[in-house]
Amino acid sequence: MSTTPPAPSDSSTPNNSNPKTTAGTLLPNDTFPFPREFFFPPFFTRQTNLTTHHAQLTKWSSLLLAYCRHHRLFRLSLNPDAIPFHNPRINRRLAPGDIRRVVDFLRKDGRAEYVLPLGQTKKDGTMTTTARGGGGEAGEGGEAFIYWRTPEEWGSLIEAWVEETGQRGSVLTVYELREGEGTRGTEIWGMDGDVLVKALGTVVKRGKAQIFQSGEDSLGVKFF
Amino acid sequence: MFLKNLDLTTALRPSYLPDEDLLFVQDNVGLYEGKYKLPNQQNGQVYLTSHRICYVDKTEPRKYSAALDLKDIERYEFYAGFLKSSPKITLVPKANKRASLQPSRNGNASPAQRVDSPFRAPPVDTPPASSATWVCTICSFSNPVPSNFDPTTASEHTSLPPCLACGIKPTLTHILKATISNATSRQPGGGPAIYPPLPDRSKQGSGSTAPATQTSPSPFQAADASASFQCPRCTFLNHPSLMSCEMCGGPLISNDLPAELMQQRRETDSPGPVLSSLAPKSEALESVKISFRGGGEKIFYERLKGSMTQRKWLLQGAPPIPKTSSNGLGVGSGSGGGAGGGVGSGGGQPERVKIAGIAGLEQRGQSMRKNNEIVIGNAFEDLEALMASAKDIVALAETFARQVKGAGGASSGSENALLAESASQLGLIATKDIVGSGGGGDSLYLSELARTLAEFLTDDARGVLRKAGGIISLVDLWAMFNRLRGGVELVSPADFEKAVNLWDKLGLPVRLRTFKSGVKVVQGRDRTDETTIRALLAWMQDLHNFPPDREVAWDWREFGRGVTARDAAERFGWSIGVAEEELEMAEERGVLCREEGIEGLKFWENFIDTGEGASRPHPVKEDNERLMKALKESGFL
Repeated sequence: MSTTPPAPSDSSTPNNSNPKTTAGTLLPNDTFPFPREFFFPPFFTRQTNLTTHHAQLTKWSSLLLAYCRHHRLFRLSLNPDAIPFHNPRINRRLAPGDIRRVVDFLRKDGRAEYVLPLGQTKKDGTMTTTARGGGGEAGEGGEAFIYWRTPEEWGSLIEAWVEETGQRGSVLTVYELREGEGTRGTEIWGMDGDVLVKALGTVVKRGKAQIFQSGEDSLGVKFF
Repeated sequence: MFLKNLDLTTALRPSYLPDEDLLFVQDNVGLYEGKYKLPNQQNGQVYLTSHRICYVDKTEPRKYSAALDLKDIERYEFYAGFLKSSPKITLVPKANKRASLQPSRNGNASPAQRVDSPFRAPPVDTPPASSATWVCTICSFSNPVPSNFDPTTASEHTSLPPCLACGIKPTLTHILKATISNATSRQPGGGPAIYPPLPDRSKQGSGSTAPATQTSPSPFQAADASASFQCPRCTFLNHPSLMSCEMCGGPLISNDLPAELMQQRRETDSPGPVLSSLAPKSEALESVKISFRGGGEKIFYERLKGSMTQRKWLLQGAPPIPKTSSNGLGVGSGSGGGAGGGVGSGGGQPERVKIAGIAGLEQRGQSMRKNNEIVIGNAFEDLEALMASAKDIVALAETFARQVKGAGGASSGSENALLAESASQLGLIATKDIVGSGGGGDSLYLSELARTLAEFLTDDARGVLRKAGGIISLVDLWAMFNRLRGGVELVSPADFEKAVNLWDKLGLPVRLRTFKSGVKVVQGRDRTDETTIRALLAWMQDLHNFPPDREVAWDWREFGRGVTARDAAERFGWSIGVAEEELEMAEERGVLCREEGIEGLKFWENFIDTGEGASRPHPVKEDNERLMKALKESGFL
């Protein structure tokens, strides 16, 4: 999470009617507490000083991760007019080029990936099957997976759950994992399909599971 | 001769007296007293001006610089150097002034206490300004010798007025003869003969050209008998100021001399600011030698000669140089100030008729204008004559400036001030002409130019740096400087830049600074990036406290407000270019961050990078560190 100092009390400023939590300010229609920098106009301008620029990217990354985690968003539309790339209060936006820069910064950390359109080959060789979304890398309004929890971490989480519920050795479908009764109440429930598949892929790589096609459109997984 | 202490300006050059003109500069010189080198004054620059010779030491300028007045110099000698010994110019001081029996030929009544002479020059019938007269060889009319004529320093270049009756110019020797005979006849109790002995002086020593002088020499000399000197060898009664007997040729020691010498010795024993550690001064007069190790001695010698004959130090308030065209002698035509009026009255003196009323005013105006014409015409004919008549020109320029200012109003006031100032600086600029064009001449010119620039910048009266907010771009400075030169000896950009680069080396109080984008600015030495940044931050902190003019969307109390380059320029008095550069410099240091919006580029305090990034550990690194720690603890490492 972003390490911002507690915001000062705002009882004296009349134009700041939103309540502030200890971590940030709330925008209307949003429950996420935005950090202080989000209201700082230069935050939305690409800095030329390298040190400042690095700090800027770092803060943007943590902001996005926190935002997605809070709202449980697995993929983010890279639309400059939408929150979190746009702050309606101070009316500043992050330019598309800069958005891409932030996403690239996240990618270096392994925390983001571009959502490629259907049919293209991703870097790790698997085909995209269910990806939706527009342009991808080129053009406005692409999408990106924001891994506020990496697929590896998801994989461990799923494995732990499987262990807990004693379903080791049984076969499950992906659909079941996502929307079945068993996972309701855990974090796995309601996960994005692609991310789930990716997560399972990491478990497979470790040799703890096996994925196979069961039916035309659904995948099954067996844990060992 | 005393080596006096010298006042230096901030740029370590001698500070000039009001009327002083700089004639020549030479570096790589050393000073000698008598035969011995002065210990701490062996490497420096010598400045020859119309009033003094100044020595500025290179290593410790403020401690070891010295000056000596040209009016103290009796004579000067030139030694051209031989093998390893460098060329030298020897300056021999005058005898003690108080006991100086050199006649006040110039009419300046220096209180000559003739301690040893029982007589005083009797009041003469001729005008007290000049009592020497010379007889014209053509028409035998006796003309007065001009008051500023000095036989010891007269040379071929001295301007001699022509005869009043026939208009023929006399020869130099003729006038010399007349002056000396006059002097000797006027003063019986002479001191040691300081003038170079002339071949036919012995003839005039006793006899006198009676018809030539209007004073009464013969009864005077007869009454002088008691003051004549008896030769020890042949008992012939010589004139007291002779050094060798007329009859037998033996050396004479005047009975006045010992007193003279004693007085001189006393004079030279008095503590001067220069003391060599060697034996104190003995009976010989201590001369000062300037040794030219870098060349330039010939030009120095020439200019020294010129300035000694011109003797500008006497001209403070003295009447202008006599014009040969208008009347024979300009001497005695009072007024030195207000060139137009003064010259006018001097020139029109013979024919001025008191006309009252408007006609008189008109006539005066007309004659003034005519004289202005003549002055300007004469001045611009010859550049050297211009320098000489610079005083007149300056006064003229001032009157014009005053007139124009009265008519034009305030807007042109500053330009007129510049005009007047530039005119008065005609003599004080470092031109290539002044500095020798010898081997290292170029570097000397550049260093002198650098010093002039530094003085110009730190001049409090003009406040160039102050007006520009303490920092001015190089191009602006160049333009301003050349404008002030007034069209004479402009400085090329290349020279300017070279001179500016020398500032650091010379240790001057201003420095050149190059921004990242290549813009060069000039600022005082004590302004560093840190001080600028501190000033900027302090200002921006203030902005936290004052509400902005209009409603803004962000919390100004927390963030302050963004500043544009224009705001910064307004606040600090910089030019816009300089303000941009300074802000960018602060941004580079990480103190400010930028914001590009529809209003343009603004700079804020850097709240983005508040040092948190440094403390946030990289997750992979963190794992590695934990691993290392564990291994260490278990003893594997």
